[in-house]
Amino acid sequence: MKYVIVLLLMMITAAAQATEDKYNFATAEREQTFRELTHELRCPKCQNQNIADSDAVVAKDLRDKVIALVNEGQSKQEVIDYMIDRYGYFVHYQPPVTPATIVLWVLPVAIIILGFGFIVFRQKRAAKKQDWNAADEQKLAELINQYQRQEREQ
Amino acid sequence: MNRKLLGLVPFLIFIFLCVFLYQGLFGNPRELQTGRLGHTMPEFSLPDLMDSDKIWTADSLKGEVYLMNVWGTWCPTCIAELGYLTELRERGVKIIGLYYEQAYDPDFGDQFDINALRQDVNNMLSRAGNPYQFNILDLERTLALDLGVSGAPETFLVDKQGKILLHHTGDINERVWRTKFAAIYQELTQ
Amino acid sequence: MVPEIGYFALVLAMALSLLLCIFPLWGAYTGNLRLMKAAPSLAVGQCILVVFSFLVLIYITLMDDFTVEYVAHHSSSTLPWYYKITSTWGGHEGAILLWLVMQSMWTMLVAVMSKSLPWVLRARVLGVLGFLGVGFMLYTLWMSSPFERLLPYFPVEGRDLNPLLQDPGMIIHPPLLYMGYVGLSVSFSFAIAALLTGKLDNTWAKWSRPWTMAAWGFLTLGITIGSWWAYSELGWGGWWFWDPVENASLMPWLVATALLHSLAVTEKRGVFKSWTVLLAITAFSLCLLGTFIVRSGIIVSVHAFATDPDRGLYILSFLAVVVGGSLALYAMRVAQVYSEGRYQFISREVALWINNIFLVVATLIVLLGTLLPMIHKELGLGSISIGVPFFNQMFAILIVPFAILLGLAPMLRWKQNKMPPLVKKWAVLIAVSLVLTATWLYSSYEVVAPLTFVATALAVWISVATAADLFNKVTVHPSVAIGFKKLGLSYWAMVLGHVGIAFVIASVTLTSAYSVERSVSMKPGETAKLNEYEYRFDGVKEIRGPNYGGHAGVVTVFKNGNKVVELYAEKRRYDIGMQFMTEAAIDDGFFRDLYLALGEPLSAGAWSLRIYHKPYVRWMWLGGLLISFAGFIVLADKRYRSRVKKSSQVEA
Repeated sequence: MKYVIVLLLMMITAAAQATEDKYNFATAEREQTFRELTHELRCPKCQNQNIADSDAVVAKDLRDKVIALVNEGQSKQEVIDYMIDRYGYFVHYQPPVTPATIVLWVLPVAIIILGFGFIVFRQKRAAKKQDWNAADEQKLAELINQYQRQEREQ
Repeated sequence: MNRKLLGLVPFLIFIFLCVFLYQGLFGNPRELQTGRLGHTMPEFSLPDLMDSDKIWTADSLKGEVYLMNVWGTWCPTCIAELGYLTELRERGVKIIGLYYEQAYDPDFGDQFDINALRQDVNNMLSRAGNPYQFNILDLERTLALDLGVSGAPETFLVDKQGKILLHHTGDINERVWRTKFAAIYQELTQ
Repeated sequence: MVPEIGYFALVLAMALSLLLCIFPLWGAYTGNLRLMKAAPSLAVGQCILVVFSFLVLIYITLMDDFTVEYVAHHSSSTLPWYYKITSTWGGHEGAILLWLVMQSMWTMLVAVMSKSLPWVLRARVLGVLGFLGVGFMLYTLWMSSPFERLLPYFPVEGRDLNPLLQDPGMIIHPPLLYMGYVGLSVSFSFAIAALLTGKLDNTWAKWSRPWTMAAWGFLTLGITIGSWWAYSELGWGGWWFWDPVENASLMPWLVATALLHSLAVTEKRGVFKSWTVLLAITAFSLCLLGTFIVRSGIIVSVHAFATDPDRGLYILSFLAVVVGGSLALYAMRVAQVYSEGRYQFISREVALWINNIFLVVATLIVLLGTLLPMIHKELGLGSISIGVPFFNQMFAILIVPFAILLGLAPMLRWKQNKMPPLVKKWAVLIAVSLVLTATWLYSSYEVVAPLTFVATALAVWISVATAADLFNKVTVHPSVAIGFKKLGLSYWAMVLGHVGIAFVIASVTLTSAYSVERSVSMKPGETAKLNEYEYRFDGVKEIRGPNYGGHAGVVTVFKNGNKVVELYAEKRRYDIGMQFMTEAAIDDGFFRDLYLALGEPLSAGAWSLRIYHKPYVRWMWLGGLLISFAGFIVLADKRYRSRVKKSSQVEA
């Protein structure tokens, strides 16, 4: 095994130096904001990647800008707005709520309402047709009991 | 009757969808528009590619209708469009280059050789045609980011007041000019 | 000469498929039994020819015949033999041929294994499958043949298979996915045949169910493997991106899952008939739509194949004919269908109906999210992106009622239930689930976000409720042994499928909540700590593969001072095309994955390195495997084999 770089400190784990993090943030919250942003912002040059995963030049530029803005103390939404100002809504994976996109939320809700409405409607209609009452119910229960007793006795 | 109509619903939805799918075939999903459209040119202060002492700002560009063409010698499509852009220049269109240097990354402390770049650009422009009045060097791609540039080539059409009216990603050729730019450009320059 | 033989075999296959489409359908229409009886042999014949044609493509790839355009563009002489074989489906033309292979094999299987079906139904099913075969064969022969030659000027070396595709995942993922996609065409054909016959009774559902189960099993497995492949190959540890191409496979899966449940109701209770037919049509339509999305380039995706509007136009036309035709037929016939079954509000029928609502809504969300950006742009409203935040949010909301129902529903009986005993049982189970969840999470993690708790509790609830139901069903019998025997395979399939879902929910929740990562620059000998593990960077060594060179970062992982594993995170550079590829190093475990990706060399011998700690990420694929297994074991169910009726009555 030929190592490109010959190791000197192999044996001394304890003496290992501290490793440098690639991105440094003043607080853990800011680091979290940065991570969220890099996963929600879209690389405008790429096929379909966020800026965290892309190696494209523009993705790196956006990443650096996000770091700078977050370190300035800007909030997540402020950074997103900054990017949308420049790259349009395309840059954010969460679509804006507009009359054209409202369908994304309205239609699923409408289908759920319709679906449940159908059950209720059907039950009401079925109830009207049915003349099954408590007495019938009791008769049925008795019959079932009788049958089960017979079966057990066999 | 009611049931019949209900049965038709899936079919109608499908037809509706097909119309859009058909249209989608002829669209280009990768074509993007900057968020700056309709706004004025962002503030900047960047040197001329050929003369580091000369500084260009948003204000210094005002007063004339111009195309700002984002390009680089590393980009084959940009080289390919130089010919047509030069033709446009000859027809009197003012074109300003925004030089987009892809290889430069301040994090790596790259050795950046401005003279080699100038040499390279001069060679290229003398070979393929020079459509530019001048070139702005955006080494750290800050103006590019402010303009919502994602790569090269891209072209912006800016009016006399410095307002960005058009954004085109990809090369400019006869067809693109005719369908996308010509009418607006005509209107602005009259 | 050899490639032309492959092409010619396909031409013959198409001729047979054309006959397979015309003879049985015409025979069924006119009541001519002889015409109908020609179908099975035609189905077998076209299958043999398609498979032969595919073998020819494999042969010319293995022989490095670069006079063939497809081989020159997707293979190279230095490619290992197994990747040469997979390169036959690594590009558009070959992938379509693989699709055809699957299509013809399903058709043959239906022809051979449906001997007990009445001839009229059998002929119509095979006829519809034949029609679909013709559509795809015509497409292959006309506009995407993998046998095109590059003559007289051909390259001496091929362009190689895309490095992303040089992975074991590529060997199994596409065939499995296509098995699933195309398998749904069988459910589709049964639905169309039933509509043509005009008899939408529960026999139709009975016949269609095992086929749907099998196709769904393959689709599940394909998606699972695809997710695992993306995770291990793409180099950033993502397992689902809501990319249009991923969505294209998820939509048919969601609808097929709804279809399975709805088929059960239709078979057992004779209700939801027209709805079930509509789901069967929709499931396959979404497969076709997915193919269109992937191959037409109307949507930007990471996985998009080379695109071409002519091809897109063909697939769209085919889509319009197949889907439009079947929905029109549906509209004509549906008015005559009535469901007679009666059931109360608290019943398994209603539970399964709600299941269907949720699955359809989930599909709708994916469909809207995938297509709306395109429509938005066409309307001149500019580009928007719909991705991870949107889908995650919607699915996070939807999964809550869905998972609750998933635990409740198996305990419900058909028709009607008495509420009080059920409510008591549920209260106990919910309490047990909450206690278990709390014990699990608070013993493992210091901070537990409310949403994480809820989602984990849902997974636990599904498992607990399923286990309780299993226990109840086993213990009602005199002895446990008998109890186990009495449970049908489809009950076990339900258990497996539901527990699988629980695993997926738990995994997605916990890996999203507790994955941590560090991007570091390390010099040899330095260590980085992440959670309880220490990573020591031991430098970089050169590597050399059959068709690539590169570097491997050597990292030794320690836990409490003890060595756990030595990992090699590779950065490969493929010889042809000079493409860089990150090959992540993964130490997999049941409870956590350690995931390393090597970045760029930095100054002074340092390298950038990404370290990830991903808890429970394996459970996702384990869950996927369980779910797909659910699809396969039902096939072994006696009910589906012993029903050999000798009737072959002809109804016209």
